[in-house]
Amino acid sequence: MAKKEITAASEGKAKKLGTKDLIFAGAFGAIYIVLMLMVVMSCGVIPILYVSTPFLVGIVCATVYELCILKVRKFGAALILGILFAITTSSAYLPGLILAIVVAVLAEIVILMGKYRSKKMFLLSYVVFNLNMVCPFTNLYFNRESFIAMATEYYSKEYADGVAKLANGALPVLQILLAVSGAAIGLLIASKLIKKHFEKAGIV
Amino acid sequence: MDFYGSDERGLIKLDPRTKFFIFLASGIMTFRSYSDVGTALYSVLLCIIFALCGKPIQALKASLLLGLVLFFRVVLQNSQGAPEVIVLLITALTTVFMFGFPTVMSLLLIVKTTRISQFLSAFQAMHFPVKVIIPIAVFFRFLPTVTDEWNGVRKAMAFRGISLRPVQIILNPWKTIEYILIPMLFSSMAVMEELASATMARGMDVDIKRTSYEQVKFGITDLVMVILLIGAIIFTTILGNSVKGGTVL
Repeated sequence: MAKKEITAASEGKAKKLGTKDLIFAGAFGAIYIVLMLMVVMSCGVIPILYVSTPFLVGIVCATVYELCILKVRKFGAALILGILFAITTSSAYLPGLILAIVVAVLAEIVILMGKYRSKKMFLLSYVVFNLNMVCPFTNLYFNRESFIAMATEYYSKEYADGVAKLANGALPVLQILLAVSGAAIGLLIASKLIKKHFEKAGIV
Repeated sequence: MDFYGSDERGLIKLDPRTKFFIFLASGIMTFRSYSDVGTALYSVLLCIIFALCGKPIQALKASLLLGLVLFFRVVLQNSQGAPEVIVLLITALTTVFMFGFPTVMSLLLIVKTTRISQFLSAFQAMHFPVKVIIPIAVFFRFLPTVTDEWNGVRKAMAFRGISLRPVQIILNPWKTIEYILIPMLFSSMAVMEELASATMARGMDVDIKRTSYEQVKFGITDLVMVILLIGAIIFTTILGNSVKGGTVL
């Protein structure tokens, strides 16, 4: 069972993911999702804020993510977080779901390159991880007509036009940039907060 | 133990796997349904399931809220002479509510009516490895805890004169993040440690087949529910796509 963990153990100094680590990852996943839903729900009203949720979520959720992977420090923490995220947000649209999981695997690889020691790699992995905020929007890129039709029916003509105007070819690039910059700002806050509160308390 | 969910008083007992399927179906339905009526009907169905599973009062509250929001929405959209901005804003707000309602409702269904041991034994019966089951089970177990901690932090901050109103959040966002996030993370981490110890004490980290007091069976009600939902999904995905933006359910 779980051959991945064994290969990780042979490569780095990381040990196998224990039950305790699984519990931590699941619980941090819950905190991450609740925070993200709060941000998205309060921003969904205005099209331009809705489209820029990758930025805002990146700022708010960076601390939770960093704390999770710093607490566990083994292969799988970011992956579990990413899969929980994918199930709850992108399960309605298959390409988005797959993309979200791929992003989580990439984040895990970034941490693996730091051999679960390097602090820079821990920080850098969030920049990759936060790209999963773009995945729920894949519905909007690939399936544009039906998304606009849905927006027209649900919201109003004006809202749909607003989204349609924003959703041109540049939107994916813009959202990826927003996700990366949001993650960068979030990381600044996260590293400060973790140093100020959690390292002092001896938690990580 | 009302806080972490039970279905003892329920008229029907659904399998945790069925509830999980309802959750996935809600995601598909909200993204694929193009009409108010369809989403409203689906939301009412979820409320009925929730009531039958032993939470009639909460289901009634939720459905009353849904009815109120829908009524407001329909009245406002058909009113003449209301200011454009207000109509737009209310439409957007009610839409966010309607869009989120099925997902939140089906999450509540899992959280409020399933004991963790039921969840574990149902998924172990499907021969899922423990490493997959534990994070998902803890995830659902932790959702009520997070909201509970959130309320606690909010009350504590209000006591010290730090308000969490939207205006304050916009005016100094960094402070808000620090004041809310840090206490919440600290108290959640204490809960996590306790949860981990409790799990260890029950021998969850031993890799053998576990027995359980819970009898989890995929019964006739589950079958009916799954067929109903699959029918609804096929109906919305096919008809909803063929009549784009139409008034078909």
